[in-house]
Amino acid sequence: MIIETLIAVTLVGALVTFLAPNRIAGKLAFAISLIPAAVSLWMFTAFDGSGNALLEGTLAFESRFEWITLGEYTISWFVGLDGISLPLVVLTTVLTSLAIVSSWTPIDDREAQFYGLVLFIEANLIGVFVALDFFLWFIFWEAVLIPMYLLIGVWGGPRRKYAAIKFFVYTNVASLVMFGAFIALVVGLGDAVTSFALPEITEAMLDGGPGEFAGIAGTTLTSVVFVAMFVGFAVKVPVVPFHTWLPDAHVEAPTPASVLLAGVLLKMGTYALLRFNFTMFPSDVVSTFAIPIAAIAVISVIYGAMLALAQTDLKRIVAYSSVSSMGYVILGLIAYTQYGVGGATFQMVSHGLISGLMFMAVGVIYNATHTRMVTDMSGMADKMPVAVGILIAGAFGYMGLPLMSGFAAEYFIFFGAFGSEMLEYAPIFTALAMFGIVIVAGYLLFAMQRTLFGPYRLETDYEVTRAPFHDVAPMFVLLGLIIALGVAPELIFDMIRDAVDPILGGEL
Amino acid sequence: MTVPVEYYVLLSLALFCIGLFGVLTRRNALMFLMSVELMLNAATINLIAFAFYHGNLTGQVFALFAMALAAAEVAVGLGIILVLYRNFRDVDVTVPSTMRW
Amino acid sequence: MATAFEFAPAIALFPLAAFVIALAFGKYMPKKGALAGIAATAASLVFSLWAFVTVAGGETYHETLYEWAVGDPTSEAGVQGIEFTFGILLDPLSTLMLVIVSLIALLVHVFSLGYMNAEGETGLPRYYAELGLFTFSMLAFVFADNLLMAFMFFELVGLCSYLLIGFWFRTESAPSAAKKAFLVTRFGDYFFLLGVVAIAATFGTLQFAGPESFVDAAADAIDGEETLFGFGAETWVTITGLLVLGGVIGKSAQFPLHTWLPDAMEGPTTVSALIHAATMVAAGVYLVARMFGYYALSPTALAIIAFVGGFTALFAATMGVVKDDIKQVLAYSTISQYGYMMLGLGVGGYVAGVFHLMNHAFFKALLFLGAGAVIILMHHEQDMWKMGGLKDKAPVTYYTFLAGALALAGIIPFSGFWSKDEILYDAFVLGLEDPVFGVAYAMALLAVFFTGLYTFRMVILTFHGEPRSEAAADPHPVGPSVTFPLATLGVLALVAGVANLAPIAKLTGMDITYLEFWLDGEYGVVDGLTYTAYTETIGYPAGEIVSEQATLLIAAGLGLGLAVAGALTAYVLYSGPEPVRHTEKLGSVYGVLRNNYYQDEYQVWLARNLTLPVARGADRFDQGVIDGVVNGVSSVSLFGGGGVKRLQTGVVTNYAALIMLGFLALLLVFGLHGGWFL
Repeated sequence: MIIETLIAVTLVGALVTFLAPNRIAGKLAFAISLIPAAVSLWMFTAFDGSGNALLEGTLAFESRFEWITLGEYTISWFVGLDGISLPLVVLTTVLTSLAIVSSWTPIDDREAQFYGLVLFIEANLIGVFVALDFFLWFIFWEAVLIPMYLLIGVWGGPRRKYAAIKFFVYTNVASLVMFGAFIALVVGLGDAVTSFALPEITEAMLDGGPGEFAGIAGTTLTSVVFVAMFVGFAVKVPVVPFHTWLPDAHVEAPTPASVLLAGVLLKMGTYALLRFNFTMFPSDVVSTFAIPIAAIAVISVIYGAMLALAQTDLKRIVAYSSVSSMGYVILGLIAYTQYGVGGATFQMVSHGLISGLMFMAVGVIYNATHTRMVTDMSGMADKMPVAVGILIAGAFGYMGLPLMSGFAAEYFIFFGAFGSEMLEYAPIFTALAMFGIVIVAGYLLFAMQRTLFGPYRLETDYEVTRAPFHDVAPMFVLLGLIIALGVAPELIFDMIRDAVDPILGGEL
Repeated sequence: MTVPVEYYVLLSLALFCIGLFGVLTRRNALMFLMSVELMLNAATINLIAFAFYHGNLTGQVFALFAMALAAAEVAVGLGIILVLYRNFRDVDVTVPSTMRW
Repeated sequence: MATAFEFAPAIALFPLAAFVIALAFGKYMPKKGALAGIAATAASLVFSLWAFVTVAGGETYHETLYEWAVGDPTSEAGVQGIEFTFGILLDPLSTLMLVIVSLIALLVHVFSLGYMNAEGETGLPRYYAELGLFTFSMLAFVFADNLLMAFMFFELVGLCSYLLIGFWFRTESAPSAAKKAFLVTRFGDYFFLLGVVAIAATFGTLQFAGPESFVDAAADAIDGEETLFGFGAETWVTITGLLVLGGVIGKSAQFPLHTWLPDAMEGPTTVSALIHAATMVAAGVYLVARMFGYYALSPTALAIIAFVGGFTALFAATMGVVKDDIKQVLAYSTISQYGYMMLGLGVGGYVAGVFHLMNHAFFKALLFLGAGAVIILMHHEQDMWKMGGLKDKAPVTYYTFLAGALALAGIIPFSGFWSKDEILYDAFVLGLEDPVFGVAYAMALLAVFFTGLYTFRMVILTFHGEPRSEAAADPHPVGPSVTFPLATLGVLALVAGVANLAPIAKLTGMDITYLEFWLDGEYGVVDGLTYTAYTETIGYPAGEIVSEQATLLIAAGLGLGLAVAGALTAYVLYSGPEPVRHTEKLGSVYGVLRNNYYQDEYQVWLARNLTLPVARGADRFDQGVIDGVVNGVSSVSLFGGGGVKRLQTGVVTNYAALIMLGFLALLLVFGLHGGWFL
């Protein structure tokens, strides 16, 4: 029942905050958000699951009730955690708490509603990672969009309406594609499944897959559904060419929304890819698409990095580099090796922390300067040494500096991908994708040189002051976590590996 | 000697068409309301004619309801027309079109 | 009784602690963190020496201490399930290097008291923290027992050099130089990382030593004529070895990735001393020495190393001749000297390469610290044409600098002569047999002349003649924290050659090649990591003229003669009270040299005129085409909606008409369908 409590507390907290007076909303939301953070950390220590949730693994904190019966199908409230979802839940709760603290400075309008929505997002994000019934999962999946739409649309920048609508419509259409494909798959499976529980569907899929449906042969149906679901999730990740909503959303979103968007929302896409496309479908189906997917991954990495190189808005730089980093995740997944898939999962957590840190740092500079343009300022290191120091540390984390989590993730992915047996020409794909680490250093160093160093220059009619403690503190926490995971990746890699192994099965 | 039901139906049809013609051609809201009343009455005539034809009272009852409804409708309609006049100094139905998109 | 090896991690952890202390509390400490750094590096030096003595006593140490990432061995994914660990390998090579690094780091810390503190710099806690982190990274890199750990600390070394080169971040040039240093070395590290990944994926291990080492695995694969990733085993070893070499070329500033190093002079001079002598740049060559067994398996890779080394030695030396800034001259000499080391390693002269690495660490640290002292004397003026006549006003600086210069030029009996001679000899005997190595040797030999020339041009312009500026006439005094490190290193530059007097040993038959014995495992030994083992693996033929002694004398005579010739040329050209700028007489050659053979230009062109426009083009493509399609879809639906909404006129009459028409149409359809009209 602990997971229900977790979600319920967050939901009730969201409601309470929503109705609270603006004056106290920020502090109240932070206090409330500490509860799920503490609970999830406790779950992290008390985790007793093993194996993969979809592949007959032992679930931790499992709970399952029948909920609705729909003809011959049962829909149930079915939640539980395995080694893949638990780190992501912890990431969500911790990052939300920190994002709330980081919004104390920039948010000065309708605070109660803002923090209420942030907590509402948190509840749904937890739901996405714990739900093991497709229907339940889909409800949470869609429910995440609404508060994020409002956060961007109400508290965003000048073009917030455009960005919010683009975000909502784009991802929603993708969900529709994915939903349709999945329902076709379930119907195609016929009598083999009687519920929407993901483990059951997975078993049926690996057991022979769907039969003929609407005049389409089972194998064709499997392939079509694989592609449709890949596209559906790819928008969320996002991979090139479905990425254009991301920079707009990031640029317009307020800092804490960017933190959550880059930190957790993007991971929903990769998490779903891992859970559905790469777990549910047998490896021979996956391997037919190995080369196109790897090509997409490489293009995402290089093209995203090249786009970041051309930007002058700090937030756009970080946004495009997220596209680039997510490309590594796709490469790791398609490698289909222990280090590849495990590294991809590790990268989800790691990138969540690092991009969260980067957006916070950019936000702190923006709070002080009211500009994010690289061309507008220089020598910021003089004015805000601590915040800039953390920004530099975060940037090096992004570049994959050893002993920070980014390196561990990238190294695992590269190593896993290089020796991949599923992917033909794996060394070449790896070498191409790896070139991203040079470009990422290029654009981050370039942007840092322009904004942080050199003689101080910024045309303002107000005093640029050091950031207050509560702006800097969350960044220190994130930096600590990044270094901890970089020095001791086994903290989570152990359970990730345990959950990833069954996916690879005996077929490789 | 009773009048065959067809004549009533023809009367009702004629009345309805007159009402419809009014609705489609008039721009004065009052004329509009009256045309609508004509169409409503055409329906009522139909109800009564068929009640007579079938030999039961159901249609008559419905006719009573329809008349009460028509009275209420006229009250609401006149209210709307009054507001219309107050706002636009006119009772032309084509003038108030700001709510369309 | 605790042994030195139990404290091995402490060697690196002391400076790490100094980093944390200086960062957190440096502001409040009396010397802004310098004392913490000095104490830590001194402790590292003590423990390194202890480890050195223990190895001399015949013991070695190889232990895995920490499991960084544990692949599951029971995984059915096979070789994917390998472990990545941190461990310490203390063998003759690494303990020697530990001593060198911690010694130089200590002296640099002490010198910084005079160079940074006395000059009232701001940001000193940051400076000392970064020095501490730098020392930590390098020490951990040196005792790393596997390639991944080496890579990780190799990268951290790069980070620290970025931070330190950009120490004066308020200027325009320092951050730019720092960025360039990191970016160029990152480009090399890209290949290095690819090599690490490839080796791990191929052999399932990254250990340098022991039965589980990738070197042994590679040797077995070559013996077994296996096919790895579609290549023959030896080809694959060559490919992976060259990939790792990419990192070496970047860090050790070999052609063509040397361009960052002269720019790196933007950092404080103390930092330059540390980077050039013992840490960043040394890391590259040390890595080749560390995994020499692997390169020994691939003659192609060795030949490339030798050729790159020989070429870089000459290439950089010629550029050093025309520089006016004292630090720039030293920067190009560093590139050139590391070229020699690469040549030495490439021709199989493992001992010679390591010997030169050691000597170079001493005399280059000396020269840079000496240059730092000169810069203090000159009130932060670095142009040699504004110096002159400092000889009498700062004798300690002059004589120690001269010792370093003699060592750099390779004049007998200073340390540089012995090691450079050994490299040249090794290249010579091989060059007699194989023309490829012959060319590399010829280039390196020619570079000896230029080395003598630029070294003594620098000495004469700086210290001799008449003062050519007010600052030179009235120099700022230097304190003991400056002269003490200079004196220490001056002595070392003079006597360090005693470690391996190979020519004398060969001529007289005395057993005095101590460094060779040291590296050959006469004391402590790790199986496979010995000079003999490497030499056997390589199996190069050695040519000779008449006899071994005669060959030796010819090689040494050529080297020494050219060095002296270079020095004399410099003396003839530049001595006298008012030296003339002879370099300008070189005409167009001067322009080419002055512009560093336009190496910077093409690399900047690649970044600015190729990559950036491509990125901008990609951005336009992205905004125009990809986002255009997305916006296009929404525009089409908007336009469609805009058309259809015109039906909604707001006129009730129209709606009524529509309802009527719709009703009639329905009636008609049902009628036709139901057959009423038939």
